[in-house]
Amino acid sequence: MTRITLFAAALAISIPAAALAHHGWSSYDESKPLTVTGKLQSVAWSNPHGSATMRWQGKQWNVVLAPVARMEARGLTSAMIDKGQTVTLTGYARKDGTPEMRIERIQAGGKTVELR
Amino acid sequence: MEAALLGFAQWLDAAGVGPWAKGSAWVYPFVNSVHLLGLVMLVGGIGVVDLRLAGLWRDLPAAALSRALTPVALVGLALLVLSGTVLFAADGAALARSTTFHRKLVLIALALGNALLFRMIWQRRVEAGGEIPPLIGRASAVASLVMWLAVGTLGRLIAYS
Repeated sequence: MTRITLFAAALAISIPAAALAHHGWSSYDESKPLTVTGKLQSVAWSNPHGSATMRWQGKQWNVVLAPVARMEARGLTSAMIDKGQTVTLTGYARKDGTPEMRIERIQAGGKTVELR
Repeated sequence: MEAALLGFAQWLDAAGVGPWAKGSAWVYPFVNSVHLLGLVMLVGGIGVVDLRLAGLWRDLPAAALSRALTPVALVGLALLVLSGTVLFAADGAALARSTTFHRKLVLIALALGNALLFRMIWQRRVEAGGEIPPLIGRASAVASLVMWLAVGTLGRLIAYS
């Protein structure tokens, strides 16, 4: 009895987490790539992935970049995407309408860098 | 829990662990691998002892198996705590708000409590060659394995919640 109760409790604890999942690849609309040019407002050159913000169409967008190691390996530097730099981003928006983009490709400092 | 975790994240930032884990190209992926190694050692070590205590493989001596594998699990636990702290430091503010991460921490506390209770109540009996503890002790062994697996699953789910 105790064994079953404990097992059920452990499952009960882990299952709602799965139901709440929304940050995975599937939460972005890959059928509608967006290309946006604008100034980066804040940039975090950080792990587990870089991030930035950009104003676009009257909204403050959260921009999801790639892990630091990958950005460096592909030739992107933190100086190229510093705050205030104008960049062109190609990526996908969140399906649920949250102003967040997952970036596939970035044009910055005269270079085009693939992030996936 | 969120406030305490935010405080810890700020402390790690001030101590330099946060900037180090965030900014370095290799620290995060390397520490991530160490975290996985720790999980393998913990679940691989204590999971086998758990299954033995639950009644599997009765021709293997339980006390000797426990003496060999419990230290492996403890080293794994130490690796998990150290690497986990660095991974937390890289993304502290987001993790402090993550319900999945909160659940993971609670479940770790429950699993550790279960392990300590088991040792307090049954260890002497196992050492004395008592082959398997009674039903409640066996339930505790099964719960141990299930909880550690659930902890690993919750850890993986943080990135998707």
